[in-house]
Amino acid sequence: MTISAETLKAMIRDFKGFELSDEELELVRPELESYLREVELLKELDLSGLMSSRLLRAKEEGDAIA
Amino acid sequence: MPNDDIMELTIAELAPKIKAREVSPVEVTEAALAKAERLQPKLNSFITILYDQARDQARQLEAELMRGEYRGPLHGIPVGVKDNLETAGIRSTVGTKVLANNVPEQDAFVVTRCREAGAVILGKENMEEFAAGSTSSNIHYGAVHNPWNLDYIPGGSSGGGGANVAAGVTFASLGSDLGGSVRGPAHCCGVVGIKQTYGRVSQRGLMVTSFNGDHVGPMTRSVQDSAIMLQVIAGYDPLDPSTVPVPVPDFSASLGKDLRGLKVGVPSDYYFDLIDPEVETAVRKAIAALGELGVEIIEVSLPSMKYAGALRIAGMADSVVTHEPYIKSNREDYGPTVLYRALAGQFVLGTDYSKALKVQRIIKEEYARVLQDVDFLATPTGPVPAWRIDSDTVTLDGVAYPSRGPGSGMTARCTSPSNSTGLPAISIPCGLSEQGLPIGLQLIGRPFEEELLYRASSAYEAVSPVLGKRPPVS
Repeated sequence: MTISAETLKAMIRDFKGFELSDEELELVRPELESYLREVELLKELDLSGLMSSRLLRAKEEGDAIA
Repeated sequence: MPNDDIMELTIAELAPKIKAREVSPVEVTEAALAKAERLQPKLNSFITILYDQARDQARQLEAELMRGEYRGPLHGIPVGVKDNLETAGIRSTVGTKVLANNVPEQDAFVVTRCREAGAVILGKENMEEFAAGSTSSNIHYGAVHNPWNLDYIPGGSSGGGGANVAAGVTFASLGSDLGGSVRGPAHCCGVVGIKQTYGRVSQRGLMVTSFNGDHVGPMTRSVQDSAIMLQVIAGYDPLDPSTVPVPVPDFSASLGKDLRGLKVGVPSDYYFDLIDPEVETAVRKAIAALGELGVEIIEVSLPSMKYAGALRIAGMADSVVTHEPYIKSNREDYGPTVLYRALAGQFVLGTDYSKALKVQRIIKEEYARVLQDVDFLATPTGPVPAWRIDSDTVTLDGVAYPSRGPGSGMTARCTSPSNSTGLPAISIPCGLSEQGLPIGLQLIGRPFEEELLYRASSAYEAVSPVLGKRPPVS
């Protein structure tokens, strides 16, 4: 999947108005491409049936704290 | 006792001499400061050396000893502290220019524990900028050099600590480990490094940290010293909700115990898929040595590790949020590798973040299942030995991988999964490459079973081919 430079710049701009040049965007791109590769791989994985892993610890008297 | 001889000792060897007043805290501290001063031009392992404070502490600890007051095995022992751990009244930079003048009002929890145990804080150690990388080649404070070969990295991000412990400048150093930042330097510098179970040690006072598996952990020259250090820093902290109120066992109690009856799992997936041949040979020999010590060796499968790369997605998003308070107003003070790596987190979608957490759950369940059949796992700590400071890539199987900044991460592929699972993992030296660079064996255990890891690693340490070997620069 390829995302246009203008889209990427707009997304970065959304981060407190941060402006990136074309050269700077190329320095970000390896990390972005790594992310997109991992996301692509996850498409084959069924993630729908997982139980929550939220941790609650019970106090001795039975109250629960997050 | 000559200064250089003192600095060759382990904590376990030196502590009885201090207790018996054969060696004084002032004598040890002066020896450590002299060595720090001598090696700083070569190793660049400190950002700040605490000459005056260390001497004041040592004098106070010596006076206590003369009154018959002995705090324990860290009494009068010089230790280093990574510069992302808060130290009251002492500059704590996190390796960044942004915080170059930051002077905390309080000590981090672990620093308080060390001071209370009698440790002398020798200095604040150099590190990767914002602890975001595995080279410790800091753009603001200079590169840390590996005492085994000064042209090579010491690993990171706690590289100053790894170099200092290996070279005998400190007896132990406190680092932090978000993806392998204690175990990586241990691997590269030939020392022992542990990332204990998530929740075993308080993170309070660990600066610019992440929500996603950061840990404080010690680096030492022996397994026994690691147990001594963890004993001091472990325990529930009511002010850190990540800590777990479980009893802290005597981590040294099982050292030296027989390993017969234990089972070690050797993963057939992931850990040995992308690895330097010299590292693989050394690690497999170490696993065979465990077998000779009576441990049953069992091949185990971790098929979900195919998706381990997704664990970094949550870390990317966390990173940009973590840097948000600094990045906009201090853009010019950021090094490019951290800046552009952090900004990439802005692209992570909420849905992908959620998926990453689910993958994390799957992987945690898989490790839990495997660790019902075996007592611990054995893997390489790193896929390659230390690489040259002037190299921006690491080549493996003909592919060049970035070693710093955006797209890097390959070098931490064996350590970072334990940050996501929260499982305890220790790195012990197990060999030297042909170039004379250390190689680490990683043992991964069940939650809160550091004691078992210490038992196995101390038994292995005694038969390790690198036992007693010291770096050329020390």
